[in-house]
Amino acid sequence: MYLKTGVADKELVSNALPTEERRASGPYAIIECFQEIPCNPCTEICPFGSILPMDDINDLPRMDYDTCTGCGLCAAICPGLAIFIINESYSDTVASVGIPYEFVPLPQKGDVVKMMDRAGEFVTDGKVLRVVPNKKYENTPVVTVEVPKDKVNEVRFLQLKQEAEVAMPTADPNDEENLPDTTIICRCENITVGEVRKMIDQGYDDFDELKRLIRTGMGPCQGRTCRHLIMQEISRKTGKKFEDIELGAFRPPTKPIQLEQLIGGKEDV
Amino acid sequence: MSNPKTANVVIIGGGISGVAIAWNLAKKGVKDIVILEKKTVCSGATGRCGAGIRMQWGAEQNCLLAKMSVEFFENANEILEYDRDVEFDQGGYLIVAGNEKENEQFKKNIALQNSLGIPSKHLTPQEAKEIVPHMDETQIVGATFCQKDGHLNPFNTTEAFAKAAERLGVKILKKTKVTGIDVKNDKIVGVETTGGYISTPLVINAAGGWAQEVGKMAGVDLPLYSERHQILVTEPVELIQDPMYMAFSLNIYIQQTPHGSFIMGRSNPEEPRDLRQTSSWQFLHEMINTCTTLLPPLRKLNLVRQWAGLYNMTEDAQPIYGKVDNVEGFWLACGYSGHGFMLAPATGILLTEMILGEPLSIDITNLDLGRFERGELCFETSVV
Repeated sequence: MYLKTGVADKELVSNALPTEERRASGPYAIIECFQEIPCNPCTEICPFGSILPMDDINDLPRMDYDTCTGCGLCAAICPGLAIFIINESYSDTVASVGIPYEFVPLPQKGDVVKMMDRAGEFVTDGKVLRVVPNKKYENTPVVTVEVPKDKVNEVRFLQLKQEAEVAMPTADPNDEENLPDTTIICRCENITVGEVRKMIDQGYDDFDELKRLIRTGMGPCQGRTCRHLIMQEISRKTGKKFEDIELGAFRPPTKPIQLEQLIGGKEDV
Repeated sequence: MSNPKTANVVIIGGGISGVAIAWNLAKKGVKDIVILEKKTVCSGATGRCGAGIRMQWGAEQNCLLAKMSVEFFENANEILEYDRDVEFDQGGYLIVAGNEKENEQFKKNIALQNSLGIPSKHLTPQEAKEIVPHMDETQIVGATFCQKDGHLNPFNTTEAFAKAAERLGVKILKKTKVTGIDVKNDKIVGVETTGGYISTPLVINAAGGWAQEVGKMAGVDLPLYSERHQILVTEPVELIQDPMYMAFSLNIYIQQTPHGSFIMGRSNPEEPRDLRQTSSWQFLHEMINTCTTLLPPLRKLNLVRQWAGLYNMTEDAQPIYGKVDNVEGFWLACGYSGHGFMLAPATGILLTEMILGEPLSIDITNLDLGRFERGELCFETSVV
């Protein structure tokens, strides 16, 4: 399930947690790394040797919770943003969670932010306690947020309040008002939604037809960015169901490649 | 809009030939013309072709057909009252000779072309390099050049014909596949389609890669076969190459479009005869090896996309124009062998003249279906 959805389930998470005793006795790191990949910066950065050395670089990290202080360096260095710093004994009433956060603008101390679970669903509001920029370690800031004790191992991401407000109106793809004609729909070829709409009005209601006539999806991205947006626009204008709109042709290669990379020697013909 | 139940003329194939014929017929006053296209206009060979336009041919007839077409393309936006641009870019064609034998043939071709009013000329490798400075001139022994040749946007050109035809009442039924041709007493009486039956006394087979299949529906085994030809396109860069660069002996052509991207194609003499339109890595390997030998700086370009289309081939690499004698009302405009796009204006004019029984602007009666039985083939060697 995890491999399919990318969302860790309760069992995986509870296996990663330390004992109840350790959880109650101060900050600790939880490593939510469940897939064997060649990656080991966490084992190198830990100043206390709490993340045990790996036999093979593909191994999953293992923790020695007796020495872990919850310092947070591993959370900043993990390229997969898979390590979080939990302090269940932050106070009598609330816990804290440290989350690696690579977006701008950064939240400020004291901000109330929305806390999301591993699937991105809203769980609770939280108050930002501190923001550690970590310029030294890959520039990944760790944001520590105060949350209710029973939610601390549920929340794993945060969203700024104003960001949430800006993002909401475009969330409904069927609301034409939110995509003005001047919006660029095909960034490679600089084509606006207005140009696409004009063509659809003339009866061109097929992705490949539009591609041939106004070059949408013909640029270096090969429609990876714009294909579904254009299909959505066709669906909206013609009233056809999105799933009934043909995807159009996919052509190799999947990403641009320099010609000289393909020359090769005669022996591999 | 419901599909028509009857038509005076049904054209099978919404490529450049189909729309050009339809527009010419409608312009001459023929009513109730229907074009049947199984996918969308330009989705077959037209939309997949290299879209080069040249008058530098080896056979007199092709020179004349090409000249007629180029003169049309030069004024296509006005003639077809097109609201966009067919993007005819007359950057010329530079055809290089890889050996002395080819070079000698080119000199003969030039004499023929000049006698027909085509402004082509023969060049030394050094003169050729002045036109395409990034070429390795040591790879060639000579070249020919005609400034009036060039490149068109195939999508826009087809749209221009299609829109002009529609304004004259031609109906284009897209996503409508022909499933059968109804022949009674050796006469065409109708066409069966996925959109219903259409009664008609006249069917024009302009189905490009699928012309053989369409012929079979009327019970005619046409001397045609299709084969895959592949193309690649690069990311656009600053304009550095005006003309099409072409080498018959290496089976390649390389052109920078006005958009900035380089389009290049290569024919494989061992390509099997079938309807595959898949892409292969072998093509990339061979195409890029040849291209970077001839035009070395192109090695730094980024490949964006590759695709394939069908050449509809005849034994003499020439189209079949005209009627099928034993099936009344069945007309052919197929077998272009890779140069159907650039000849489309002439195709439209001449097929229309033939169907209406008018005198022909250029005599193409030798390009009929009967030439294969008579053994009177009209070979053209200047092809890729």
